[in-house]
Amino acid sequence: MAGLERAKEDWYPIAIAGSTVDGEQLDTSLLGINITLHGDKDREISVTADGNNLPVQTRYDHVWTTFSENPRPLFDIPEADEAGRVLVPCGVVRVKCSPLRAVENFLDIAHFPFVHTDVLGAEPHTEVEPYDVKIDETIDEVIATKVKFFQPQAAKSAGDGIVTDYVYRVAAPMVSILYKTCPPKPGSQDVITLFVQPLDEETCNVWPWMALYDYENSMADMISFQQMIFVQDRSILENQLPRKLPLDPKMEIPTRADMTSIAYRRWLKRGGAIYGALTEAV
Amino acid sequence: MSFKLYNYVLSGNCYKVRLFAGVLGINYDSIAVDFHPGQEHKSDDLMQLNPAGTLPIMIADDLVLTETSAMLIWMASKFDSDNTWWPATDAAKTAAIVQWLGFSSDLTSTIGEARLHTMLNRDVKIEKALADGIVALRRIEAQLTEQGLRGGAWLVGESPTIADIACFPYVALAPDAGLEHDDYPAIRNWLYAIRSLSGFVTMPGIHEVHELRNEGD
Amino acid sequence: MVTEPVGLSNNLPIKRVMPARVGDTDIAVWRSASGVVSAWLNRCPHRGMRLSHGFVRGESLACLYHGWQYGCDNKCKYIPAHPALEPPTTIQTMAYTVVEKHGVLWVSLDGTPEIPALFEKLQPVRSISFNCSNEDVLSALAETTLTCDDGQVLSASDMQSQNILILDNPQNKPKLAVLFQKSSAANVTAHLLADNSWSIDGLIRISRWCELVRRRAEIKIPDNRRNL
Repeated sequence: MAGLERAKEDWYPIAIAGSTVDGEQLDTSLLGINITLHGDKDREISVTADGNNLPVQTRYDHVWTTFSENPRPLFDIPEADEAGRVLVPCGVVRVKCSPLRAVENFLDIAHFPFVHTDVLGAEPHTEVEPYDVKIDETIDEVIATKVKFFQPQAAKSAGDGIVTDYVYRVAAPMVSILYKTCPPKPGSQDVITLFVQPLDEETCNVWPWMALYDYENSMADMISFQQMIFVQDRSILENQLPRKLPLDPKMEIPTRADMTSIAYRRWLKRGGAIYGALTEAV
Repeated sequence: MSFKLYNYVLSGNCYKVRLFAGVLGINYDSIAVDFHPGQEHKSDDLMQLNPAGTLPIMIADDLVLTETSAMLIWMASKFDSDNTWWPATDAAKTAAIVQWLGFSSDLTSTIGEARLHTMLNRDVKIEKALADGIVALRRIEAQLTEQGLRGGAWLVGESPTIADIACFPYVALAPDAGLEHDDYPAIRNWLYAIRSLSGFVTMPGIHEVHELRNEGD
Repeated sequence: MVTEPVGLSNNLPIKRVMPARVGDTDIAVWRSASGVVSAWLNRCPHRGMRLSHGFVRGESLACLYHGWQYGCDNKCKYIPAHPALEPPTTIQTMAYTVVEKHGVLWVSLDGTPEIPALFEKLQPVRSISFNCSNEDVLSALAETTLTCDDGQVLSASDMQSQNILILDNPQNKPKLAVLFQKSSAANVTAHLLADNSWSIDGLIRISRWCELVRRRAEIKIPDNRRNL
C-alpha cells in the first residue's frame, strides 16, 4: 500500500496516559493493523500487534506507539514543560476521513466564520490576510507564521472579539501544533495540538491536546470548548469527497488563503508521506 | 438565573434544554461536566445528585430534575406565557405531545447510542442501534409527512411544541452516527423549520442557518 | 442514460438545497431566491465539501466549509477569504441538466432529459426510500391494494414503463402514479403523485400504504393480499 512503510516510521497516539486500568485490554487499529493495549499492574502499559510487543512511550499526556524499531524521533513541544501551563488532554473523537484531511483542516483559518460561527470567526470578518509559510528543511516541518484572524471568542478565556495571531507547525504528517494569542496572559501563547491516530487511510481517531495559561476555567470548561470546536469540524471532514487527501493540484482548487495547505500537500508528497492521500487525479 | 444545568456540550439531551432556553429567551447557569473523557457524570458528587448517572441534571427552584421531558414541561409551564409549547389545558394535544416525549427517548437509545460509538468510540451494539435508528427516523418522517398533507409543519398541531424540541436533537445529529438525512425530505424540511426559529441555538454537528445571516451581501 | 426523478418540487422550497443520487453520482439540487433550480456534482471545487450542506444566498449557493459562492451559471462568484478578488471564471461546479415538470425534479447526467408526458393535474404526495431492490418493491406492490375515497380498489399490476407505475381507474385516468428512482441494487426511492379525487385522509392513506409496501418489500415475505 502506498505510503504504508513511510507511515510505519512515525509515532502515533492511541490512548490518554493513565486512562487504562489494571488488566484492561483495549483493541484498536493503527494503519489498518489491529493492535492491543494492555493495562498493567504498575500502570505501565504495553502494546502488541499480532502478539509482538511494539515500542511504547508516554508523552504529552498520551500513550504513543510505532511499528518501527528505529522510528523517527517524537517531535518536540518545549512549551509542554513550562511551569504554569495547564495541560489538557481532550479525549478521542473518531472521524470518517483521511487522517491527512483532519490535519489539513486544522491548518485552515478561512472556514472559521462558517464552521465555528461566532466563536472563532463571524461574517463579515472573513478576509484572510497574507501570511508566511515555509517548509523548514533542517527540522523537516511545515511552518506558517504571521497568521491573523478576527475572532469573536478565540478561547474559553476570551471575552470580546480580538484579532488573534497564530503560528502553525506540522511536526509530523499526522501531528499539527498551533500557537495562538493567549487572552489572559499577553505576550504568551496558548498551545493547541491535534494528534491523529490513523485507524486506516479513511478513518482516524483524533486526540486534541492543549497546554494553556488559563486559571479561571474548569478543566471541564476547557475540554468542552475544544470538543465543541473539533466536533464542528468533524461534520465537515465526514463530508469531503474523496475521503482521502488529493495531492494532485488538478483535483482541488486552492486560493491564497490556502498557502499552508498547499505547502502541507507538497511536503507530504515530497516526503512520500502519502498514507491517506490520493496521489493521482480521479 | 432561572435554573442551573449540569451540561455536556456534545450531549443531545443537554442540548434539548439549551435549545428550549434559547427559544424561550431565558438565561441559566451552565456547569460544564467532563462526560468524555473524564466520566465526571459518574463522579461521587454527581451520582449523589442523580443516582441514574445521566446528564443533564437541572436544579430548578427546589426540584432536581434528571429527565429531559420533565425539564421541558417545567420550562414551558414556567416561562411560556402564551402556553403554546405545552398547551396544558388541551387534553388531546398534551397527550399527543407526551407520546412524542416518550418516543424521544427511543431516539436517544438508538441514534444517540450509535453516535456515542461512531464519534466517541463507546462500546455499543452498533448494528442494532443503527437499524433501530432507521426505524425511528422513518416514524418521524411518516408523522411529518402526514402533518404536511394536513398543511402542518410540526409534530403536533399547527405550531411548534416541546415534542419538536425533544425529538429535534438526535434526529438532527443522526449523520454524526452515520445515518444521513438524504432519504427523509419531510425531516429535512422540519429540521430547517426548527433551525429557523427565533432564538435557535446551534450545537456541534448542527450548523448555523447561514441563509438567514447577511442576506443580500 | 435515463432521466431520473430525484424529488418532489414541493420538497425543495426557494433558497434551499437538497442531496440526491443518480446511480453512483452524488448530486446537490438547489433553488435560488428567484426560483431557478440547478443540479450539480455534490462537491465544492475548492476542498471537496458536499455542496448539499451549503446555504443559498439570493441567486448563489454557498459552500458550508469556506462560504465560496456559486451562481446559477455554475461559476464561482465570491470567495469570502478574499473579498476583493474576482474569482477566475475557471472555478466552477460540475453541472447537470435538471428539469422541473409535473411537480417533480428530473435530473439527466448526459444533458438530454426525457420526461414522460403522461401526468396532468397530479399532486405530490410524498417520496419514500426502500432499502431493497426495485424488484422487491414491485413484488410487494403486487401483493397489496389501495382503496380510493370512492371505495374503488386499486391494485398495482400495470407497470407503465421501466420507472413508472400507474394505478388506474376504468376511464384510464391515473389516480396514482409511482415514479421510481433507482440509486443502487439495494436502494430505491419512490415518488408518489395522486390526482385531485383524493381527500386529505385519502392522501394520508396513500402515505401509510407505501409504508406497508415497504415493510413487505424489505422483509421479502409475500403476505396475503390485504386491503387498507
